[in-house]
Amino acid sequence: MNAETTWLVIILGAPLAAAALLSLMGARGARMAGWIAGLAAALSLVGTIALLPALQRGDTPALGFEWIPAMNIRLAVRLDWLTLSFLITEAAVALLAVVYSWGYHHRDEGTAYFYASLMLFAAGMSGTTLADDIFLFYVFWELMLVASYVLIAVWGEGERRTAVALKYFIFTHVGSLMVLVGLILLYNATGTGSFSAFRAGVTLAPALVRTVVTLFLVGFCVKMAIFPLHLWLPDAHTVAPMPVTIMLAAAMLSMGTYGILRFPMGIFTLAQMTPFAVPMMVTGIISELYGALMALAEDDIKRIIAYSSVSQMGYILFGLGTLTWNGVAGATLHVIYHGIVKALLFMCAGLIIRATKRRRIGQLGGLGGAMPVTAICTGVGALAIAGAPPFCIFISEWMIFSGGFHTARIGLSVLTVFGSLLTVAYALWMLGRIFFGTRPEGLTVGRLPRAMLVPTVLLAVLSLVAGLFPAPVFDWVARELPMLLGGAW
Amino acid sequence: MTGNVWVVVPQACLLCGSSLVYLVGRLWKTRNHLLALLTALFFAMALGALVPVFKLARPGDQAAWGHFGPTGAFLRADPGALLVAGIALGLGTLVAIYSGCYLALDRRYETFYPLLLLLVAGLVGMVLAADLFNLYLFCELMSIAAYILVAFRRRLDTAIEAGFKYLMMGSVGTVAMLLGISFVYRGAGGLTLSQTAATPGQWTHAGLACLLVGLGIKSAIVPLHTWLPDAHGRAPSSVSAMLSGIVIQSAFYVLLKVSLGLGFAARDLGTLLIVLSLLGMVLGNVLALVQPHTKRLLAYSTIAQMGYVMLSIGVGLRHSIPAAIQAGFFLLLAHAVMKGLAFLCKGVCHFYCGATVIGQLRGTAARMPLVAVTFSLALAGLAGIPPLAGFAGKWFILTAGLRTADALVYFGLAVFLVSTLLALGYYLPLIGMLFAAQACEALETSEVSRIQVSPWMALPLAVLGCLVLAIGLYPQPWLNWAAAVGDYLGTLGR
Repeated sequence: MNAETTWLVIILGAPLAAAALLSLMGARGARMAGWIAGLAAALSLVGTIALLPALQRGDTPALGFEWIPAMNIRLAVRLDWLTLSFLITEAAVALLAVVYSWGYHHRDEGTAYFYASLMLFAAGMSGTTLADDIFLFYVFWELMLVASYVLIAVWGEGERRTAVALKYFIFTHVGSLMVLVGLILLYNATGTGSFSAFRAGVTLAPALVRTVVTLFLVGFCVKMAIFPLHLWLPDAHTVAPMPVTIMLAAAMLSMGTYGILRFPMGIFTLAQMTPFAVPMMVTGIISELYGALMALAEDDIKRIIAYSSVSQMGYILFGLGTLTWNGVAGATLHVIYHGIVKALLFMCAGLIIRATKRRRIGQLGGLGGAMPVTAICTGVGALAIAGAPPFCIFISEWMIFSGGFHTARIGLSVLTVFGSLLTVAYALWMLGRIFFGTRPEGLTVGRLPRAMLVPTVLLAVLSLVAGLFPAPVFDWVARELPMLLGGAW
Repeated sequence: MTGNVWVVVPQACLLCGSSLVYLVGRLWKTRNHLLALLTALFFAMALGALVPVFKLARPGDQAAWGHFGPTGAFLRADPGALLVAGIALGLGTLVAIYSGCYLALDRRYETFYPLLLLLVAGLVGMVLAADLFNLYLFCELMSIAAYILVAFRRRLDTAIEAGFKYLMMGSVGTVAMLLGISFVYRGAGGLTLSQTAATPGQWTHAGLACLLVGLGIKSAIVPLHTWLPDAHGRAPSSVSAMLSGIVIQSAFYVLLKVSLGLGFAARDLGTLLIVLSLLGMVLGNVLALVQPHTKRLLAYSTIAQMGYVMLSIGVGLRHSIPAAIQAGFFLLLAHAVMKGLAFLCKGVCHFYCGATVIGQLRGTAARMPLVAVTFSLALAGLAGIPPLAGFAGKWFILTAGLRTADALVYFGLAVFLVSTLLALGYYLPLIGMLFAAQACEALETSEVSRIQVSPWMALPLAVLGCLVLAIGLYPQPWLNWAAAVGDYLGTLGR
């Protein structure tokens, strides 16, 4: 066991161990719970960053054991460039969400279980990206779902939380089952569950390739909440407690993108994927426009930002569908940047709701003077999501659009660019309605805990810095692209 | 009487045990605990006696005991019989310990424990039997014990009704079996399974049809399942755990063995099983969705889960894929553990809080955390959520099934996937109830206070809960066990 494998174990093991410890401590652990979870999330992030030099040397840290020899299934994890962008986003978001929870979550006897579920959720996501075997991948994929289901069903806000959680579970489970069938078809074709066999190339009959790719695309699009498979998202994101919403929106949605990059695009060649290019682009555009329109029509702050996720995932799917270097690189960049900005926006929404006890945009207004820090942060978030330079999303959108113009479908690309106008509309409209104008009668502003403010400001700064200095992140993403589409690039 | 005597030792343990426990119960006014411990001891001894048999059993050379020859009557330890008997004895041990506290609800200790031992004695004899005569006798022993145990709460009309219904339908099954056996004897001139297969004819076919109906009733294959929700829903929970966990599965295993042994072509049997499994999966899951009583819900879920098992074994027989049969038996084992656990957990809620309807399970987590956790492990496992036992079964079924290129199998798998989704619709709300914050007010003890669960009940729950996790996280040893059965049935069908 060398230093690299130790870090791998820590990335996955720290949140799992924290979850186990917190569940055992139960009500006694309520005081310490936040700190333990924070420590575990921080360790996970540190582990990911510590493995960066190894990746840059050209290593791929990996660890594997025999698990079910009869089925050729191994307990294997591996970190490569494709994993890294997603893992680092997930680990950072998890840490910020835990810190935000310190201020957001009211301590009671269930606190330890709340943090334990958060940790399981985080472990599910990092395990999904790290897994190097389909069985393990699916186990973590579902752990992510189970943990988030528990978080919504138990700590959700509002009377409908049980129903919403059930809808969320069953809806996304349909996608999971499609993914499961796709995985097993691949398994049967190669006789092994290990990803290394997929990297070596899988030969399937053309009809089977179409089936497998369709299953994966539809299955992962459920997780990405692409129209018309998005129905679970607005409810789940609205009802979930804010730290969970942050993790759902900023990290879990991107797991669908990871799946598309890892399976259909990672295994099959450009020629095999080409028939799916136009359907992906068109669905992406529809999702982009639909999400933006719904965001314009909504009144609840959380729902506006939730629909904005549907719209942003549309950009990502469009970028992937272009099957061009720029488009796919832009889509992956967008995953990271969207994670930052969406976490920022939800944190701001949490601050506004906490301070005013209101969440309907019609009942808010004129808050700019009373909560300047939140106003600036929300402003940064709104401008960033609208794709304004110099914030980070400008770069990823630029890449996605340029990818679109590299294809023969110029019409679709023009449509995407104009679609982004709607994003500007809802972002600025929301900003204006909350912070400008006259303040409605009886709207008071309460004090905000520092644990909620600090991560928000940090993210606002980050979305500017990432936009000004995109080179390092761009470098990670560029390294992942040769792994896709049978080495087309 | 020749052969390996170890084969008959478990039977001897159980039968002697039942008389002895009855005597002890009658002669001394003893407490429940002693009888429970004694019963558990006999179950454990029988399980221990199975170990040497298990070691002896090799492919093509199975331990057997009795009169061999053309008109012989003997017991033979084939891998499937060992698997089913092993599960039954293991579950029996835990149920006996559990009853050490739970039976305080019903009393009449001296009748309960002997009946439990007789039930398992009949079951073990039935699966080991290598001829139709022994098979019939032991099947009757098992069934009669089961009828009485279902109607054990004799002061309740519903229990009597359920027991009576079970008795009536079971007797029809018995008569059909007897008729079938006589046809087979008329056709083949003998009753040993290996011999009758050699002489197929019209009488054998007619006999086979009757036997299929008879055993179909005993194993509650849809559309012959109507007794099951009543019987499993009304019996004491400890009995339901046995009935739902292993009793109907043992009848199903016998159905497989007898059909293949009488020369039913494996391909046709497989097709029949797939078609019947479709009904089972859909009907079981849809009806479970609308059940207000927890135990009836679990009973319908058993019908659905048996559908999964049948689908998998059907696929294996139709396309001679041992891996699919293996997956079916793996799920059978996992189901026995999970369903047994679910019923036992329900029993604890009934024992302490008087909960029968789903809504009354509210707030169990605050009162009895152990019960809530193990109950949800069982339910989540049944729902096939990784990394629990049910998920590994689901994975194996899908891998085996997708290997074929057969429209019927694909259709079956599609129905399977949709029904697992439907099943989430009742498993998840049930888990939600357990962890709901406020307790149900309709219960006798409405204030939420921690209840100390008796160790007699806590131990079986903990053991089964750990098993649900262990089978899911490390399926290899259990898979090996099921693989032996897959190979055996594969050769039998050829």
